[in-house]
Amino acid sequence: MSVQIVKHGIMDTLQDKGRYGFQHIGIPPCGYLDYLSAQLSNVIVGNPIDAPIFELHFPASSFIFKEDQTICISGANFVPVLNDKSVAMNTAIHVCKNDTLHFMQPLLGKTCYLAIKGNIDSSLWLNSKSDFIAQIKTNDQFNIIAWDADINKNSNNPTEQQNQQSIIDKVQKHIFNSNEIRFIPGPQWNDLSTESISNILKQPFYTSLNSNRMGYQLKGQSLQLMEEKTYLSSAVTRGTMQLLPNGEVIVLMANHQTIGGYANIGQIILVDLPKLVQHKSDTLFHLNLTNVATAHSEYKQMQQWFS
Amino acid sequence: MTKIFSNFNWNVQTLGDHAIQFYLPPIMDPRVIGEIKNFNDFIVAAAAKGIKDIIPSYHTLTLIYDIELMNTPLDFANDLIEKYKSQREINLPNKELNKIIDVPVCYDESFGIDLISMSSKLNLSITEIIKIHTQNIYQVYCLGFMPGFAYMGDVNTKIQTARHPQPRQNVSAGSVGIAGAQTGIYPMHSPGGWQIIGRTPLKIFDKDPEVLSKFKMGDQIKFYPITRAEFETLNQNELK
Repeated sequence: MSVQIVKHGIMDTLQDKGRYGFQHIGIPPCGYLDYLSAQLSNVIVGNPIDAPIFELHFPASSFIFKEDQTICISGANFVPVLNDKSVAMNTAIHVCKNDTLHFMQPLLGKTCYLAIKGNIDSSLWLNSKSDFIAQIKTNDQFNIIAWDADINKNSNNPTEQQNQQSIIDKVQKHIFNSNEIRFIPGPQWNDLSTESISNILKQPFYTSLNSNRMGYQLKGQSLQLMEEKTYLSSAVTRGTMQLLPNGEVIVLMANHQTIGGYANIGQIILVDLPKLVQHKSDTLFHLNLTNVATAHSEYKQMQQWFS
Repeated sequence: MTKIFSNFNWNVQTLGDHAIQFYLPPIMDPRVIGEIKNFNDFIVAAAAKGIKDIIPSYHTLTLIYDIELMNTPLDFANDLIEKYKSQREINLPNKELNKIIDVPVCYDESFGIDLISMSSKLNLSITEIIKIHTQNIYQVYCLGFMPGFAYMGDVNTKIQTARHPQPRQNVSAGSVGIAGAQTGIYPMHSPGGWQIIGRTPLKIFDKDPEVLSKFKMGDQIKFYPITRAEFETLNQNELK
């Protein structure tokens, strides 16, 4: 079984849960940007939740399937079209030999996932298939390897299908129907001016077009430190909010540098990171404070949905 | 040295919902690095479940954890500090210094593309800049920016130069640069703002999982000058 790229998009990659254990030598973790949509798509086709998956941005790559396959499209809605008929999101779709899939327009969200039932064959580097510098290219061909029978569970049982629909609804609602993105204050939170603290908590923000797998730039009220200060570099994480000297905030994403020397004013919690990933620059959101206990309990609850 | 080590007092803070950061006072000092390396090695040896990454830097040690395997991060962290302290009291710090890694650098002006402008700014001859850069033994404070990029210091104040206000689009692999008190080597072609004074023929980062980064935090580095001809013989990087 295999799939081929007919025409590549602008920044499409193969991603899995990421590459950990090497940040001390400067290797970024990479991995899915919107891990909730990626996990959902994998569950729908019957893959393990952390299987490798195609991550697409608009204008997205187009694909041709070389054999019959089961696929699912989740995350951003780029209006997927199979041959010349539009197909549903978040549904297992049976595709036939020589069917082609392409994407028409960025209707909702920024990052789309294409899951294919089976293991996408690509070289493993440091325990992960996540692309770091490479992107998928026109004419690339990926073999799809069937899972061992025991991993492969695809239920047609009506109760399970109902459960799955309720999970899809919950994930979609969480990611796309909320304008609240929560964060935990970082080491330099108290270095912000009182006015900036008030602005960050009360004023709306939006994402700049200048956002990618390394980081999302936030636009809104300019923020300032109480006094100009320099910091020794220290480790940053997925979700770290770095305050640049020009008053703008960059939220670090999967391909982030491992250490940073800008003021670390907070970290977006993991459950809310997919919301930010999918926020286009034409919608406003608010930043709200939360704490570790809430972040942990919501994360665990959402991971339960997929088990 | 032992006396100073025993005075270090570790603090800890959470860093969002999936990291813990241990920290010492923010000073750039090889002795602090020695202590961070000790604590780092202790945590690596303890191999706690759910720890995905252990990232040392100038005055911090950060752990990235798996939320599903970590219930009370601060308790976990304080427990680690306690265990480390009790162990440290028994085994007085007596770590051998890392061996010095010799790094050949060709300071030819075709590689050291900022040497001429630095020479006029610093009021030193290029020969003097090279002499001063190769005099010190540098400490690797941390790695970051890109795979294998080591931040080393301290650069003699006589040749300290601020980075370019506008980074270059493409700095060649192996380029040796200076940014203030720091010196470092670009492991691969990349954009970069450091003042470039030469190029090493050594491969600084290798994708081979058995090799990866030439340097690690705590290493000591000594640069020595080589000629252009020697560079060509030794070169392990593709020229660009």
